[in-house]
Amino acid sequence: LLTTDYPWIINHDHSKQKEIADWLTMEIRDFVSYISPSKEEIKERNDTIGRIRDAVNHFWNDANLHVFGSYATDLYLPGSDIDCVIISEKGDKDSRSSLYALANFLKKRGLATDIEVIAKARVPIIKFIDPRSKIHIDVSFERINGLEAAKLIREWLNDTPGLREITLIVKQFLHARRLNNVHTGGLGGFSIICLVFSFLQMHPRIISNEIDPMENLGVLLVEFFELYGKNFGYDDIAITTANGYPIYLPKSDWKGLQQLRSSFSLAIQDPGDATNNISRGSFNLRDIKKAFAGAFDLLTNRCFELDTASFKERIGKSVLGNVIKYRGKQR
Amino acid sequence: QCPHKWKKVYCTLCNSKRHARDRCPNIWRVYLLRDDSSQQQDDNNEKKQKLPIERIYCYNCGVNGHFGDDCPERRSSRVPNEDGSAFSGENLKEDMK
Ligand SMILES: [Zn+2]
Ligand SMILES: [Zn+2]
Repeated sequence: LLTTDYPWIINHDHSKQKEIADWLTMEIRDFVSYISPSKEEIKERNDTIGRIRDAVNHFWNDANLHVFGSYATDLYLPGSDIDCVIISEKGDKDSRSSLYALANFLKKRGLATDIEVIAKARVPIIKFIDPRSKIHIDVSFERINGLEAAKLIREWLNDTPGLREITLIVKQFLHARRLNNVHTGGLGGFSIICLVFSFLQMHPRIISNEIDPMENLGVLLVEFFELYGKNFGYDDIAITTANGYPIYLPKSDWKGLQQLRSSFSLAIQDPGDATNNISRGSFNLRDIKKAFAGAFDLLTNRCFELDTASFKERIGKSVLGNVIKYRGKQR
Repeated sequence: QCPHKWKKVYCTLCNSKRHARDRCPNIWRVYLLRDDSSQQQDDNNEKKQKLPIERIYCYNCGVNGHFGDDCPERRSSRVPNEDGSAFSGENLKEDMK
């Protein structure tokens, strides 16, 4: 039995590839299919949501439960939370008393354990664990912006080959370094998608239609880290997708952009609200940029190392393993 | 004799004087291009390879019309860009440069 820290390479050896970039492309595809959920996992998630949806309909017959976030766009890592929102006809389910009433109801029905009601936050939510599947659930109330964002991201995924693959790798990379949590200044899921979308839709070889991104995932991943780790002008540039495709905007031309204490900050215009900077919470940009630059160095050094190695030395090796540090369960 | 004798480094792969052959970006910056013959058979204009100027933006100053590597403004990032990046007019097919 072969044991390895990089389970996605088992039975997927690409060490004989002539170009390291092609090897990396194939390894990215292998990793993405490795972390993609199985039919059983998808069913378990859908059943979990179904049970909670039924309970909500029973409790409030004018309300419905919708999913958004990574679950709704198929961009989730194994074990990630499910984000839901309750929308009602009267639009009155975001009161403190409603939050507590629903939490108690779910508890009594045996549908929720470890319940936390966070009523005072800017976005009030209930957090709990589904006792059958052990999946963590966040429920928010009466806010449609998450649903609109999910719809837009699904359109981007349709129009942008490679967006799903590179986003999942960057998500896993940031997750392994605890830089993907907005509450601690990291990059949120929507911001990550915007960075990848913008990178792909402005890449010289892609806008000129010279390459198929799916055939070039390896070099594109390295160049993603190159752009945001070394070259991007965070002090002066904002990203916007107002015209349907992403463009840069000098920060000084963004009226209503609330400058943070430091000009070294990420600014991404919310496609649904031109006054909102969706990455304003990512205050730890210094570490994020440093991590991206580190990923570029790790990946390019690995390419140089493997380029001079013999085919015998390359067998069973991983190009990506050290960068993404996947420590999930065996799948 | 000068103690800081200039060590001649240059790349036998791309002739750059900024790196040696074993650290040449051309080792990893390799693109698998679309098949040219299938391009020509396709009369559909959408599939033709051309450079849409309206999609070119500068990562350094944010202005439309040039790539970040070719920006005339002072560099915004403090990390140096010695060997050039993907976002350069150089990183295009000959006839599009
Ligand atoms: Zn070279
Ligand atoms: Zn410029």
